Amino acid sequence: VRLTFSGSALGPEAAVVQRQLTRFAERHPGVDVELRVTPDAADQRHQLYVQWLNARAPDPDVLQLDVIWTAEFAGAGWILPVDAAVLDVDDFMPAAVTASRWRGTQYAVPWFVDLGLLYWRTDLVPAPPQSLSELREAARRLREAESARFGLVWQGARYEGLVTVFLEHLVAFGGGILDARGRVIVDEPAAIRALTFMRDAIAPDGFVPSSVLTWQEEQTRFAFQNGDAAFMRNWPYAWALLQDRVRSQVAGRVGVAPFPAGDGGRPAAALGGAELAVNAWSAHPELAWALVGFLTEPEQMLERARLAAQLPARRSLYGTSALAEALPIPIEQVRRLLDAAVPRPVTPVYNELSELLQVRLHRALSGQQTPPAALREAALEIRALLARSGLASDEPTP
Amino acid sequence: VSRPEFSERRPTDALEREEGRLARWLVAPALAFILIGSLVPIAATAWEALHGLDLRLPWLGRPFVGLANFVEAAGDPRFTSALLHTVAFAGVTVPLELAIGLALALVMHAARRGRALVRLAALLPWAIPTVVAALVWRFMFDARAGILTPPLRTLGVVGESFDWFVHPLAAWVPIGAADIWKTSPFVAILLLAGLQAIDPALHEAAQMDGAGAVRRFVTITLPLLGPALVVAAAFRMLDALRLFDVAYVLTGGGPGTATEPLSLYAFIALMQRLRFGYGSALSVTVFLLTFVFALIWVRALGRSIVGDRR
Repeated sequence: VRLTFSGSALGPEAAVVQRQLTRFAERHPGVDVELRVTPDAADQRHQLYVQWLNARAPDPDVLQLDVIWTAEFAGAGWILPVDAAVLDVDDFMPAAVTASRWRGTQYAVPWFVDLGLLYWRTDLVPAPPQSLSELREAARRLREAESARFGLVWQGARYEGLVTVFLEHLVAFGGGILDARGRVIVDEPAAIRALTFMRDAIAPDGFVPSSVLTWQEEQTRFAFQNGDAAFMRNWPYAWALLQDRVRSQVAGRVGVAPFPAGDGGRPAAALGGAELAVNAWSAHPELAWALVGFLTEPEQMLERARLAAQLPARRSLYGTSALAEALPIPIEQVRRLLDAAVPRPVTPVYNELSELLQVRLHRALSGQQTPPAALREAALEIRALLARSGLASDEPTP
Repeated sequence: VSRPEFSERRPTDALEREEGRLARWLVAPALAFILIGSLVPIAATAWEALHGLDLRLPWLGRPFVGLANFVEAAGDPRFTSALLHTVAFAGVTVPLELAIGLALALVMHAARRGRALVRLAALLPWAIPTVVAALVWRFMFDARAGILTPPLRTLGVVGESFDWFVHPLAAWVPIGAADIWKTSPFVAILLLAGLQAIDPALHEAAQMDGAGAVRRFVTITLPLLGPALVVAAAFRMLDALRLFDVAYVLTGGGPGTATEPLSLYAFIALMQRLRFGYGSALSVTVFLLTFVFALIWVRALGRSIVGDRR
């Protein structure tokens, strides 16, 4: 029997996943597990998956999904629901579980998570800002004192990263994109306050450079790593690179904290990461689920944390010293982020929803539209999208 | 068509017939290639454009929707502005490319020493892959590390926070610059061929009659270069109306969608949103746009030039 697994094999991931697949095969005599390598770029992998699954290909049996794809694949009937008797998701982070459900059914098992966070310079401020207004004041002050060229940097290019940054501001002001019933709330006052804060940060406040509107993760990391920025919003991957004394000018002077709350909201960490699902046309679904179960066992997650520095999706691991030793990033700083995790909207048309939103956000941030007008039109477009896709809010949602 | 009896014809006629048959066979592979390689895909895309198919929403099926996708496009402000961007881009860059290409061609034509070197230098941009060239231009226009913005900032021409790629109009400058830089050499080659076809005796005669360089350029070179200019303009327009790679690499269509051409929007609808019906409809409009232009251009100018020659 041959099982195929398809997922990301970037850098150290390739070695970890190959090792774990081999171990699984050793435990199941007569089973062969093949690693099918897919493109590194998430967009391209998504495109490939859609083509395979649309053609009802029986392989790959097990798919590594980005958290924002699960609803789409579940809605299309391309992946099997998780059998609760086989896999219990009680131990997993609630935000990750939410992201892997569609219409009340669990379709994937969270594997590892990614959380947006605020990097700050321990030599410039004594403690991380506790609120967005504190962050603004500190960023402004440090820039005016010329301690840093930029106050704060985030990912503002017109791509998925911009939506995660916006989501963190949004939750910080108590807003959201869709509510629990799937209604569009991205044009409500809290959202307008959030986007206005982001726009003002670029101009007139100026503590965020306008060039962030062309920056993705790496450009912000370079700015922070060269000592040009006092604060940076980024993902955990940057930690180890920033601590590299050879390449980084800020090694040993970096702390992380949740992105702080504004008025009427809470600290938020946009949730990214990966989940494992089983192809609906797999010839060996039971064996495929066994592989999913194996890969999401605590031991495998710990090994992944140690070798690829990816955060496990199981909550209980964060109380263990094993994880503390495995992760490069200090675990007590990570623990505070877990409660702040917020998933992006769970809907089969997420990709298009996000794309519509990216355009409007980018227009507002580059001064082509006011934040209220941009969000009003974004909401109209998203409502039209949901209606056209038969997903309007009167239908049952999780 | 009925086939007359072979034996009833005169031998020469039979020979012609034989040759005609051979000719048809010789042309057949090329025709088949055009049919399979371009007509079938175009027809398939046009047919797809009449359907509603969204790969993400298989439960909606693939219904025949008639012209609904085109109606949606007509009411889609992003489509209208993409169309406008495309036409405006072609309208601005092509004349500039023709002017610069003409200047380059004149230099290459006039060069007496180091001819090969001059031609090589002029043609170099055209030989560089577009994506690579666009990346280089992106770097040159970078607000911090680029070679252009920091001096302009020091001189006070642009503000402290100015970034080419963040300003909705300024973002067109790197796109236009990269495209003009990249394609003017192509225009130059076409025009150089045209220049070399002009009989030098004409120039000598005019010189004898006391015509200056400018006069000779206006009355001899330009009119005789007409056909080459029309061809070069047609090639460039058809290319510019399909603008994709330079914009994709340099701005991704941003900020917002301020620099998004039609082909890029079609690509997003097809490959990112996976809306095959709507994306096909957008692709068909790109095709129609270039096709209609080509038709008008050939009718209006192609014939007049052919007529002039006769």
